[in-house]
Amino acid sequence: MNGTKQPRLATQRKFRFTNDDLWGYIFIAAAMIIFCVFTLYPVFNAIYTSFFNYKPFGSEFIGLKNYVDTLKYSKFNLFYKAAWNTLVYTAVVVPSTLLISFSVAVMILPFSKKTQSVFKAMYYLPGVASGVALSVVWLWLYDSSPDGLFNQLLSVFGIPAQNWLSSTKTSMLSLMIMALLSSHGTQIITYIAALLGIDNSYFEAAELDGATFMQKVRFIVWPLVKPTTLFLLVTGVIGSFQVFMNAYMMTGGGPDNSTTMIGLLIYNNAFEYGKYGLACAQAILLAIVIAIMSMFQFKMMGVDVEY
Amino acid sequence: MKKITALLLVLVMVLGLVACGEKTPETTKPQTGNNGETTPVVEPSNEPDTIVIMAPPVTGEYLNNLKVWAADFNKLYPHLTVEIIETSWGDHSDKLSTMAQAGEAPDIAEISSGALGTYVEMGVAIDIAKYMSADRLADYDANAVEYMSLEGTTYGLPLYLTIQSIGANKTLMEELGIDVAKIQNEGWTYEEFLDVIAKGTDGNRFGFVFANAGVTASDMLNIFGAGVGLSNNFTADLKYTFTSENMLTLLTAIEEMTKSGYMPNYGVEAGQRMVMCQTGNAMIFGKAMPLFESNFNKNNAALEANDGTAVENSLPMEYAFLPVPTMMGCAESCYGTVDGLIAMRNKNTTDEHLANVLLFMDYICSGDRIASCMNELYLDPVCQSGRDALVLQEGRDEQNLATAGRCIAMVEAPPAGVTAEMTATAKKMMDEHIVPKFQLLLAGEATAQEVYEYICEAAYDAFGAENCVSGKIG
Repeated sequence: MNGTKQPRLATQRKFRFTNDDLWGYIFIAAAMIIFCVFTLYPVFNAIYTSFFNYKPFGSEFIGLKNYVDTLKYSKFNLFYKAAWNTLVYTAVVVPSTLLISFSVAVMILPFSKKTQSVFKAMYYLPGVASGVALSVVWLWLYDSSPDGLFNQLLSVFGIPAQNWLSSTKTSMLSLMIMALLSSHGTQIITYIAALLGIDNSYFEAAELDGATFMQKVRFIVWPLVKPTTLFLLVTGVIGSFQVFMNAYMMTGGGPDNSTTMIGLLIYNNAFEYGKYGLACAQAILLAIVIAIMSMFQFKMMGVDVEY
Repeated sequence: MKKITALLLVLVMVLGLVACGEKTPETTKPQTGNNGETTPVVEPSNEPDTIVIMAPPVTGEYLNNLKVWAADFNKLYPHLTVEIIETSWGDHSDKLSTMAQAGEAPDIAEISSGALGTYVEMGVAIDIAKYMSADRLADYDANAVEYMSLEGTTYGLPLYLTIQSIGANKTLMEELGIDVAKIQNEGWTYEEFLDVIAKGTDGNRFGFVFANAGVTASDMLNIFGAGVGLSNNFTADLKYTFTSENMLTLLTAIEEMTKSGYMPNYGVEAGQRMVMCQTGNAMIFGKAMPLFESNFNKNNAALEANDGTAVENSLPMEYAFLPVPTMMGCAESCYGTVDGLIAMRNKNTTDEHLANVLLFMDYICSGDRIASCMNELYLDPVCQSGRDALVLQEGRDEQNLATAGRCIAMVEAPPAGVTAEMTATAKKMMDEHIVPKFQLLLAGEATAQEVYEYICEAAYDAFGAENCVSGKIG
C-alpha cells in the first residue's frame, strides 16, 4: 500500500504551483506580453482578417475567397510573377551573400584584433544607414543617362550605357547588385565569431599533414562553421522573401513588373488598393512558404548540426 | 502542468487583446447616396468638440497657414478646437490608409481625387451633402466637385484643380523662330509638336524630355492621353477607354518619339527634367505645371544675384507653359486632377461632430484661405468665394496665365455613374498592367501594337469586353 501511495504524493508535490513559480511567470510576463502584443496577436489577427472582405466598419465574411483569388492562375494575376521574382532574387542574393561574407571573414581573420574591428566596422556601416538614404545613393549610381556613374564606368570598357532600372534586362540585376554590395556586415561579424571559435589545433594538425590553404578551408573551416551557415541561410532566406524596400524605392516593381516582389505586392494591396483581407491572405501564404523553405533547409543541412 | 498553465496564460492574454481590439458599436451608420434625395442638413451643436485634420504641405506655407486658420476658426466658434496632424507628401497616403483601416481616420484628410474610390470602398468616406448647406456647397465649381463625387454622392470639397502638361524654355524657342504665343493661344497638333522638337534638337540638346522613370511613366500616358481623347478612364456610357483606337495612336506616337532621337531613350528621373531644361540640355520638358514659372523666375534671380543658389550650369531663360498637342483630330484637352479634403468616419464619429467637421472643412476650402493657397500654386480657385477673394500676385506672365486658364477650362471631369468598384479596378489596371507595359515601350523592349494588345486583353479580363471601347473615341 505504502508503495502505491508514495509516488502519488510525489506527483502531487511536483505539480504544486509554488510562490517561486508565480515569480517566474511574473518575470517572463514582460517578454510574453511583448511577444503576444507584437507577434502573436498580429499573426492571429492577420489569419482572421484573411477570411474577410475587410472594412473598418463592417467587414464581410467571404471564407477562402481571398486565398482562391490569390492562387487562381491567370496571366494577369501578379502573385505568381511576384513569387517567381522573389524566388529568383533569393536564389541569387542569399547564397552569393553567404559566399562573399564567408570569403571576407576568412580574409579578415588573420589580421590583429584592432584591424579586424576596423574592417568589421567598415562592412557593418551600410547597415546603420537607413534603407531610404541608401536607395537615394543607388538611384544616383544607376542614373541611366550617359553621365551616370555606372554608365561612365562601363564606357571606360567600351560598353554602351545601360538603362539600369528602366529595362527588364537589367532591373532585377540592379537590385541584386545593390543587395550584394550593401548588406554583409551582420553576416561577416557572425562568420568571424564562428571562425574564432575553431580550435587552433585543427589547423596545426592540418599544417603538419601539409594541407594547403584551400584544403584547410574546405575540410576544417567550412564543416565547422556549418551551424553558422545554416543559421545565416535560414534567416537570409526569410529576410529575402520579405524584401520590400529595394523594389519600392528603386523601381516601384517595374518595368513590366520585373521587380515586383511578394512584399511589394502585399503592401500595394493593403495600402494602395485598401484590400486588407487579400493582403493578409497573401502574407499568410508567404509565411507558409517561408516556413516550408526553412523546414526544408533544416532537413537538408541540419542533419549533423547541433545548436 | 506548467506548460498548460503557460498556454492558458497566453490564451487569456490573446483573448483579452482580441476583445480589446473588437470594434466599438457604430454611432452612425454609413451614409448611402444622395441621388435626388432631399436629405436634411444636420445642424452643428454648441457642445465642445475637437476636429482632427491631417494634411501634407499642399503649398510651402500651407501647414503654417493651417495653424493660423485653425486659431481664427476657434475665435469664430470657441467651442470647436482643431487638432492638426502634419504629414509629408512621402508618408501622407500610407499614414492615412493605415489610420482609416484601423477605424481611426482623422475627421478631415487631404486626398487626390484618384484615391477617393479606395476610401469609399473602405466605407470610411462621408456623404458631406448631409452635413452642409446646399448654399455653401453651391459655392464650389460643379466640375471640381464632380471629382470628389462617386455615384452621385459627394464625399469631399475640392481644394484645387491642378493641370499637368508640358513646359518649355521660351527664350530658346523664340530664338529658333517658333511662335510660342500661337501654340499657347491656339494649341498644336502632334505633327507640329514633332517638327518643333526636331528643331530644338542638336548635338548637345534634346528637343524634348519627359520624366518617365519608374512610376512617373504614368504621367506621360495621362498628359499625352488628354490630347487623344483619353482624359478619363470611362466614356459617358461607362465603357473603359484605354482599349480604344485612340490608345493605339497614343502608344504609336510615344514609340515614334522615343525612337526619333528628339528625346532621351533612357529613363529620366522626375528631378532631372526641369534641370535639363534649365541647363540647356532640353528645350521642352514634362510633366510641367503653371507653378514652374516661379521656379524659373527664382533661378533667374539667383543667376543675376550670383549668390550660388541657382541650379548648377543653368542659363537665364523665360518659362512657357504649353498645352498638350492633339492627335487623331481630337478636340484639345488637358489632363487635370483635383486634390481636395474629404470627411472621414472613425470610431467616435457622430452626426453632430460631422456637422462641425464640415463647418471647418468649408472654412479652409473657401474664401481668402484658398485664395492665398492658389496664389502660391499659380492656379485659379475652384470656388466663387475664393475667386472673389483672390488678389493676383504681381509679376506673373500674362501669356502663361491665359494658357493655364484655357487649359483648366478644358479639363473634363469623370463621367457621372462611375462606381467606386469601377474606379478601383481602373486604378489597379493602370498600376499593374498599363504602366508596367508602357515602361517596356519606353525602354524599346515592346512595340506599340504589342503593348496595346496586352492592355486590351487585360482590360477585357478585368471589365469584360462588352464594357470596353472598341474603335475610336471622339
